[in-house]
Amino acid sequence: MTALATPEKTRARGVAPTAGLRRPRRYGRALLYVALLLGAIPTILPFVWLVRSALMTDTQMFVAPPEWIPDPFQWSNFGEALTAQPFGLYLLNTVIIAVVCVIGTVFTCSVAAFSFARLRWKGRNVVFALLLTGVMLPYAVTIIPTFVMWQELGAIDTFVPLTVPAWFAGAGGGVFNVFLLRQFFLTIPFELDEAAYIDGASPWRVYWTVVMPLSRPAIVVVTIFTFIGTWNDFLGPLLYLQDESKYTLSLGLASFQSVFITQWGYLMAASAAVIAPIVALFFFLQRYFIEGVTLTGIKN
Amino acid sequence: MKRRDLFRIGGLAALGAAAAACGGGGGGGGSKGSTQLQFMYWGSTFEKAAVEKMLRQYEQKNAGVDVKPLFTPDEYDVKLNTLVASGRVPDVGYVPMSMSYRLAEQGTLVNLFPYVKKYPQLAGCLPDAYLWYGQDKLHGLATANEVMLLWYAKDALAEAGVAAPPADAASAWTWDQLVENAYKLTVDQNGKHPDESGFDPKQIRQFGISSSITYGAAWYGFLRSNGADFADEAGKRCLLDTPEAIKVFQNLQDLIYKHRVMPGPGQLAATGDDVPGTNVLLKTKRVAMVVDGHWSLLDMNQSKVNYGIGVLPKYGEPFTTTQVAGASAVFAGSKHVEEAVELFAFHNDPRYVDLFQQGLWMPQEKRYYEDQASVDAWTRNAAHPPEFRTAVVDYTRGHGVPDLRNRLKNMSAVSSDVLTPALQEIESGKRPAADVLKEATPKITAMLQGWHHTQEI
Amino acid sequence: MRRFEARWGVLMALPAILGFVIFTVGPMIASFFFSLTDWQVGGQPSFVGLDNYTALADDALFWKSLSATTYYTLGAVPLTLLVSFAVAMLLNQKVRGLALWRTIFYLPTLVPAIANVVLWIWIFNPDFGLLNSLLRQAGLPTSQWVYSEEMAVPSLIIMSTWGFGNTMVIFLAGLQGVPRHLYEAVSIDGGGPWRRFWHVTLPMMTPTIFYNLVVGVVGTFQVFTQAYVMTEGGPNQATLFYVYYIFRKAFTESEMGYASALAWVLFMIIMVVTFLMFRNARRWVYYEMAGAR
Repeated sequence: MTALATPEKTRARGVAPTAGLRRPRRYGRALLYVALLLGAIPTILPFVWLVRSALMTDTQMFVAPPEWIPDPFQWSNFGEALTAQPFGLYLLNTVIIAVVCVIGTVFTCSVAAFSFARLRWKGRNVVFALLLTGVMLPYAVTIIPTFVMWQELGAIDTFVPLTVPAWFAGAGGGVFNVFLLRQFFLTIPFELDEAAYIDGASPWRVYWTVVMPLSRPAIVVVTIFTFIGTWNDFLGPLLYLQDESKYTLSLGLASFQSVFITQWGYLMAASAAVIAPIVALFFFLQRYFIEGVTLTGIKN
Repeated sequence: MKRRDLFRIGGLAALGAAAAACGGGGGGGGSKGSTQLQFMYWGSTFEKAAVEKMLRQYEQKNAGVDVKPLFTPDEYDVKLNTLVASGRVPDVGYVPMSMSYRLAEQGTLVNLFPYVKKYPQLAGCLPDAYLWYGQDKLHGLATANEVMLLWYAKDALAEAGVAAPPADAASAWTWDQLVENAYKLTVDQNGKHPDESGFDPKQIRQFGISSSITYGAAWYGFLRSNGADFADEAGKRCLLDTPEAIKVFQNLQDLIYKHRVMPGPGQLAATGDDVPGTNVLLKTKRVAMVVDGHWSLLDMNQSKVNYGIGVLPKYGEPFTTTQVAGASAVFAGSKHVEEAVELFAFHNDPRYVDLFQQGLWMPQEKRYYEDQASVDAWTRNAAHPPEFRTAVVDYTRGHGVPDLRNRLKNMSAVSSDVLTPALQEIESGKRPAADVLKEATPKITAMLQGWHHTQEI
Repeated sequence: MRRFEARWGVLMALPAILGFVIFTVGPMIASFFFSLTDWQVGGQPSFVGLDNYTALADDALFWKSLSATTYYTLGAVPLTLLVSFAVAMLLNQKVRGLALWRTIFYLPTLVPAIANVVLWIWIFNPDFGLLNSLLRQAGLPTSQWVYSEEMAVPSLIIMSTWGFGNTMVIFLAGLQGVPRHLYEAVSIDGGGPWRRFWHVTLPMMTPTIFYNLVVGVVGTFQVFTQAYVMTEGGPNQATLFYVYYIFRKAFTESEMGYASALAWVLFMIIMVVTFLMFRNARRWVYYEMAGAR
């Protein structure tokens, strides 16, 4: 809490040696690129592995020691894998579920986080602590009662159990998002709220015009996590869907594997195709991880 | 306390009054007029296509019956447990080995005994195919038959000048012959064999043999062949500490660490039994001979391996593990039991399911092993090699012992809690088999609850 | 505390509260009742009081799985925090192709588990695997990695660290909230990058670090996937993680009563640990409003 005071202490030193920074900075940049390159080798490995496997025959995929260049390039893996099942339909189902979940989660979690971070009300911390306990019980033992609950509501074989909880702050696992946003909201200067209240703004207005615009990076994180989470969710669709016309991509992927046989080439090709959209999504959304210009301006 | 009460407590807390209007499950549902059945299964897309085709044929032959597939590619036990708990079971379906007897004893599966006589294809199965849970109480059949075999890469054997493993049980190799040939087939990067000086066990190019120590179906045939068994006649005392049993496991361990002809844990880059598959191991000649199930046939043909099939080596009488498959069953609570049994009798009938001719499944009906025309019906095609008749059909018929998991009560808990960890220790080579087995045997005995019931049909 | 704040506070938290009450509490209570019974899925349960809980004390696998899980948590959480913080700092610089770099570093999180497993099986292969090849070239002793009892958990820790992407992204988002004027203040005072990091970045990042710590601990205590797809709990129960054990009891053996008791014990453990972390947080986590409220 007191750490913030430390910069003040250093002020006594005086002299700003900005002039001397040039040379070390150049070395610094070179070093930076070296570090990036070194880090990128192991992190890109799983992806390269996936893509090379997707283009190989089952036999070549497992030669030891491994080979990196497919010979021949099995482009047909992609075509055959993606037509072996109605992936177009699965894609549509998955997109519907993911989009509904993202909107619901971002909205309800940020509203709740705003309440927990920036509004004072009795029992607030107790309620927050209670919500957190929802993620501490392993879900293995709540699968059955949860299923029974949805059954009593007549929601089996619909998207309802997969999407509606997202509109209640994600229920269960969604609490992590509330917690995350709360942490970010807590770092925004409180004077901003006070100023708005003095101008007669309502908390809703403060949430919408002050806190949310300043929290774009955190909102993007929640968007990415929720999208990827629903995109890859396997157990939810497996349990709640029955009709194959409602199946999702993750269920489609799983059917390339079986007790006795696994169609490795298809599995890898379909996996690569299925993650491509989320790679693209991340690529475009990461741009929001840049310093909030507004924040700097306001503070000064 | 009743199960429903338990739920109601949770349900009430969750739903308030809504829970009072409880629905209750049962059967695959179904509107009036047409009969609707639900068929729950797992499988690859390959199997899925065959099963869907089978279901379509069933619908064609049974006008007015509608079968809805409930395809469950993975986490089958999680889903089935959930459906059982919520009273929403399918009409017919696969049931994992670890669950079928338990569900039968609880009354969740239909006793098929009264129906069997009506269907010749059910009445005439191999004796070990039937899954009994008491006198005249039959809960299902193993979905298809499977048997453990000795697969080999023809090219590797030709290079080493080793004669192919015998394809009939009578002339099966002895264990010593297996070891002897495995030496010839094991080669390091410099072309040296394990019995030559300068052999580098860290750089083995081709292993002679691979046979799982941890997978029960792979060693149970050896155990029986050496006159040992897993448990005594009552099924209450574990016999893995007998000299005969110890010898079998010590021999397996020796293949890795003494003879150095078999890969140890991880050396094939394999966890479990399917990464990579036997087809890849043989095709790339990482291993010359592999003990694996008949189901590999499909993969072998698809990846065009130059393979051959032999019978397993023997100690005394030759034995191999059969019925290495989970159950198919009819679920209690089905609104249309007659139709469900009809579908049950249909779902693994070689006349309607392509998987037999394609080499993934073996029939359960006896005549497919005895009557020439019937044998030909599923084996006379490009997917089945010439030695298939003696090495697989006759071998299964005359020398099969059923997989322990479908015979011994509580076997899945025994495996996961005590047996598998013990076998992993043997596989790691840190202690001799005798030490490990003598320690594990009393623990297993404490968990044993007897053999499952068996009887003539 | 202003009146309208309380009204709005409850209203805005309402979706979350309702979600908790409707979708979470009921199943939790139900599972707690299961834990007091001998319920086996498909059968009739009878009330056994605390028998399941007392039986745990004599269950060697309970202790084994608890220690394996704790070991994993103690290794994976700090390692992941360190690596992801460092990478986030790196990816917060102005470099060419930033979008591409960030995506590359996030990729391991996106590759599906099964494809990842096949890769790691090769990496850990004792003979020709990547790790042992590197060690051999460096003249260092090799290891059996995931195939030996001693190294199995550390191997999985290494493997899990690759999935640092999510933690890294949160740090990256957090770094955007560090006010520039604080950096400038340090620079004016003649402080270099190290001082900027130590006196500005780190303290301003404590709320984010705290979040990642809590979520990391809560998550790794419930680690499941790797034991399930990679090791099946072996070798010799070395990677029998707690939740994997619960799954085996609950769905392979259908012992839902016992599995629920296991789950509630873990619940208590996680709750206590989380509580301690929150208490301790007052000492080191900096919030804008800390003094005010």
